[in-house]
Amino acid sequence: MISRSAIGRHAQLALRRQSCVQPSARRGLAAVSTGETSFSYESADVGGIKVASRDVAGPTTKLAVVAKAGTRYEQLPGLTVGLERFAFKNTQKRSALRITRESELLGGQLNAYHTRESLVIEAKFLREDLPYFTELLGEVIAETKYTDHEYHEQVEELIHLSQKKLLANVSELAINSAHGIAFHRGLGNPLYPTSSTPLAKYLNAGSISEFAQDAYAKPNISVVANGATQEELSKWVGQFFSQTPATSANPFTSTSSTYYGGEERISHASGNAMVIAFPGSSSFTSGASYKPEMAVLAALLGGKSSIKWSPGFSLLSKAASAFPGASATTTHFSYSDTGLLAIQFSGSAKAIRDASTEAIKSLKSISEGSISKEDFTKAVAIAKYRALEEGQNIEAGLVATGAGLVHGGKPFQISEVGKSVESVSAQKLQAAAKALLEGKVTVSSVGDLYVLPFAEEIGLKV
Amino acid sequence: MSQPSLASAIRARPWLQKMVTPLANWYCNAAGYRKLGLRADDLIPEESETVLLALKRLPPQEAYDRVFRLRRAFQCSLAHQLLPKDQQTKPSEDIAYLSPIIKEIEAEAKERLDLESLSITKRK
Repeated sequence: MISRSAIGRHAQLALRRQSCVQPSARRGLAAVSTGETSFSYESADVGGIKVASRDVAGPTTKLAVVAKAGTRYEQLPGLTVGLERFAFKNTQKRSALRITRESELLGGQLNAYHTRESLVIEAKFLREDLPYFTELLGEVIAETKYTDHEYHEQVEELIHLSQKKLLANVSELAINSAHGIAFHRGLGNPLYPTSSTPLAKYLNAGSISEFAQDAYAKPNISVVANGATQEELSKWVGQFFSQTPATSANPFTSTSSTYYGGEERISHASGNAMVIAFPGSSSFTSGASYKPEMAVLAALLGGKSSIKWSPGFSLLSKAASAFPGASATTTHFSYSDTGLLAIQFSGSAKAIRDASTEAIKSLKSISEGSISKEDFTKAVAIAKYRALEEGQNIEAGLVATGAGLVHGGKPFQISEVGKSVESVSAQKLQAAAKALLEGKVTVSSVGDLYVLPFAEEIGLKV
Repeated sequence: MSQPSLASAIRARPWLQKMVTPLANWYCNAAGYRKLGLRADDLIPEESETVLLALKRLPPQEAYDRVFRLRRAFQCSLAHQLLPKDQQTKPSEDIAYLSPIIKEIEAEAKERLDLESLSITKRK
């Protein structure tokens, strides 16, 4: 039996809580939404800067400046990394410390990172702080001082650490090497400078500052927000991004990437990795050269299971499960004008050797058309899910949209992506797989080269 | 480690500056460091974290020149000699190359201290 007094006390408490008047200055979660939830971005041009936003209901906002200044566009090795590390350092108006403390007080988070094509400087904060953080990002890109002492005391050390980190990571080394073989310059630049790059020759505060002038010029950046209305964002961007240089002195040349292919073998004592890569499709935002069958092929080859306690249906995971110690994943890296479909192996050298042989066999079976209809349907479903999830995912969507806008394409529109993935047919997939195997392959092996196979040994021609 | 200074107060009053400048010039020459080829900023004591950091931040050429001046001055001092007239520091060369950096570092430290003792009032 529940005692009456207990019920009475709880009821009293509950009543008291209800009648308690909530301070009305802060809005509750339910009241925050200012616009309808929509997963598509609205874009506009504010004084030469492309601005896109998506007003997703919620109390927080994510704001990012996406600059077309990834490693693909750096004129000297390491410039992109240097510029990324200089984000939120001393500006003409306030010090790095003040920036950090102020955004801490507002509960904001600041972050900067880069991909092969874009440099992203972003802030996450409460919705009502949009003006403050728009001003901050505007200040960071236009008025950072790029002082020598900050470079030597803070930036340089971090770059050296990232070099060391890259040296220890065989999978990263392999994927960088595969990009290098596949695209030579531009996209082939490593994401982080390798440990033996003579950085001191190229990198200093001056060269980074010069690079920033070009990287953060108005035609080269876009401002993307998630969780802010387009009117408000446009208003603040118009006000706070006026210092941004209107044109870059020497705009980045965007010679379209050509695929070369080839083989590279790097000896490494700790760990083994192997990448087999094929020319892929450009990203959705590029328009015409987008080939959705590449995404489906990546899903069909797969490798990592999307469900627990089972290797999954994908061809590679089935192949790799026979060789304990090896893991295989297929990733499709898509860029503004091209892409790379990469099968990555890691694990013990012997297991990689066997799994890669098996993987090529399964790719050949796709090209011969011997895949079941069921597997094909599953692959389409997974590819569609991945594409849609990427769009819905705030982070990936921001970067994809920003990069799409700066590269002169369109923002990432989620509904269209889904449709184009659905339109892939089994014949199209087979033809794509066949074309891949007939063309030049990119093979990069890092690790114990005595055991790791040459491309020719696993039945590929380089 | 910048010394307390009346310079800015004097500079703000032209009449005072006019009176003090000849005296200051006389004092600088009489102090004798220019005759050993040094600059006023070479005399700032190095034994503090701030100055050590400021010295690290000097551009390479400045740092090299500073060491050269110091060694030349030591040599002169040991030999009980003054530099020949043409090698002595001219008033136009006696510029503050280190103290601006020291002031910058001190301002940084002060800002940090201020931010650390910040009291926060919640937004109404």
